[in-house]
Amino acid sequence: MGDGEIFAKLKQSIIDQDQEAVLAAVDEALGAGIDARVIIDDGLLPGLNVIGEQFEREEIFLPELMRAALAFQAAMGILEPIIRESGGTEGPSKGKIVLGTVKGDIHSIGKNILKLLLETSGFEVWDLGADVDLFAFLDKAKDVDADVIALSALLTTTLVGQRDVIEALKEQGARDRYKVIVGGGATTPEWANSIGADGWAGSAYDAVNLVTRLLS
Amino acid sequence: MKFVELLTDAQVQRIHEASLEVLETVGILAHSAKAREVFRAHGCHVDDTGLIKFPAAVVERYRKLAPRSFTFHGRDPQYDRTIPDDGPVFITGSSAPNVVDPMTGEERRATSTDIANIAYLVNELPGYDVFSISTLAADAPEGQFSLSRFYPALKNCLKPVRSNTPNVDDLHDVLELGELIVGGKEAYRERPIINHHYCPMVSPLTMDVESTEAVMWLTERGLPVYTSVVPNAGLTAPLTLVGCLVVSNAEFLAITVFQQMVREATPIIYAGLPTVADMRTGAYTPGAIETGMLLAAQAQLARFYNVPAGGYIGLTNAHSNDAQSGYETGMSTVLGLAAGATLLNMGGLLSSLMAFDFAKAVIDNEIALMNKRIWRGLEFSEENLALDEIAAVGPGGSYMGTRRTKAGMKTTGFLPRLADREMRGQWEQVGRPDIQARAMAEAQRILAKPNPAVWDEQLDAAIKARFPGIVDGDARPLTVARA
Repeated sequence: MGDGEIFAKLKQSIIDQDQEAVLAAVDEALGAGIDARVIIDDGLLPGLNVIGEQFEREEIFLPELMRAALAFQAAMGILEPIIRESGGTEGPSKGKIVLGTVKGDIHSIGKNILKLLLETSGFEVWDLGADVDLFAFLDKAKDVDADVIALSALLTTTLVGQRDVIEALKEQGARDRYKVIVGGGATTPEWANSIGADGWAGSAYDAVNLVTRLLS
Repeated sequence: MKFVELLTDAQVQRIHEASLEVLETVGILAHSAKAREVFRAHGCHVDDTGLIKFPAAVVERYRKLAPRSFTFHGRDPQYDRTIPDDGPVFITGSSAPNVVDPMTGEERRATSTDIANIAYLVNELPGYDVFSISTLAADAPEGQFSLSRFYPALKNCLKPVRSNTPNVDDLHDVLELGELIVGGKEAYRERPIINHHYCPMVSPLTMDVESTEAVMWLTERGLPVYTSVVPNAGLTAPLTLVGCLVVSNAEFLAITVFQQMVREATPIIYAGLPTVADMRTGAYTPGAIETGMLLAAQAQLARFYNVPAGGYIGLTNAHSNDAQSGYETGMSTVLGLAAGATLLNMGGLLSSLMAFDFAKAVIDNEIALMNKRIWRGLEFSEENLALDEIAAVGPGGSYMGTRRTKAGMKTTGFLPRLADREMRGQWEQVGRPDIQARAMAEAQRILAKPNPAVWDEQLDAAIKARFPGIVDGDARPLTVARA
């Protein structure tokens, strides 16, 4: 079988959101001696691009987008160690994101979806989880030299936790070091504006576009 | 009235058993160490990660201790309401960050003055029984997040006031406010006029720290507190309606037995806000008809457990008072009521609980009154069969002048203030007002006069002395944009 056919299979299995087929195609590609980095760039990512376009056109639904992303992540579980072992880099990171749900709020589903979509889009993500103390955001962002701090809140009563992080950054004179974006069920673009955030997104998918735009 | 039932008795039993199985084999993750200790001390298995496994016999023993009714207390006892016996209780939606400005029509951050106005409006609108504080207060002074909500609410409303607090300090402050209002700790124990509500259960199958410990603290002291389960099918619960019911019923049982373990015979409500996520985008859908269906099923489960039922129902995703806003609120509330829910948090909010709208609150008052008309039912009696009148009027006659027609002219048919029943020509003559314009004019009319519900100056001075810097909490006449 030619490489072209294998790449087509990799791409199509992602489009089909078929994790088993993705893993089988990755095996086959590795067996054919194709470089792990090339498998990602020329096989899997073109499939994810199609999935993204289909989602934007509402041809596929959120669970389908998620399943494609999960299949991609499973493939990365095999390919990443190979790239590391061979001394290669995993390709240039598109940016470093520190992510979490603010203090007092343990809702995490939307945040977890965003994490998955950011990772599949080539960002490095540090997920601090839920009910995160504001200083944990600041410390982690400093530690990893983050590009973006992403704050989630679902409860209207915990919303102020997003403002608190931005205020604390200002007090530390570190506000300009990071882009801060906010999202979650309780947020609106007006709220994001009023607390001086750099951006707001209404969905995890839009948040990936927002981060891409902010860092380009 | 015979209630609408979406489940058979056997299906109710099966959902109950399935919930017991989930609690026994999957368990609940409790983040609060205090809660873990309560569960451990009462026969649950608790591991190091905080996973609680519930033996079925433990669940059965404690859930049966929950009493069959729950009472809301107001500043004026004539507004106290007990469900289910006093019939359906209609409540405003709560804790929206924003308000639609009545003057500009633009959404903006809500303030304590908005809360004062809304409290006054709810006090005057007969459809509402309980005021759940509809918005946050963006003008809250440092350290007075909750006081800036409860003070204007209690000051302007004699009906029961309901809301939550984000932390224990705030909880203590609002209770102290309540004690000042009723005249001391002892009096407050008799008449606890703050009705607390929390969502300690975070789907799927998790208990948080702050809300759980607030519920525990209040329950220990015998103060009124109830909780809601809030599954979102497709995201935090299975995307089958009955699977969603199993998860949320397991959550309901977990928090219910928790409260009974903390204090036996604590009144509770089987309350919820179950939704089915819009799978095209993951959008949140409190306005969807499935919320009405799931709450109807929960009302049936609540009857099985012999506890009162209801929750957030008839909220809307719509952003203005259009047809979507009306049918989403109307259809779900009617279904929930017909299924026997007697707690309906339905009023005043647009945009998926994000913004309060004065006109929406007035429209929902009318929807609440229509629902109450349904609850009153057909009033079947031999007298009401009116056989004597049917014979007296005979074929071809008129009932307009009869004794019964006069007796029932103000009550048999609900008389709406907003719904237009004039001929088209008359509507055109007065400038074709839509429901938005009619409702806003009504809100403005109500808020034009000083509020007689406000307490005396002596009490107000005492409150201001205890909480320096507190917001003024006064309602103000509404400035409304002219259509």
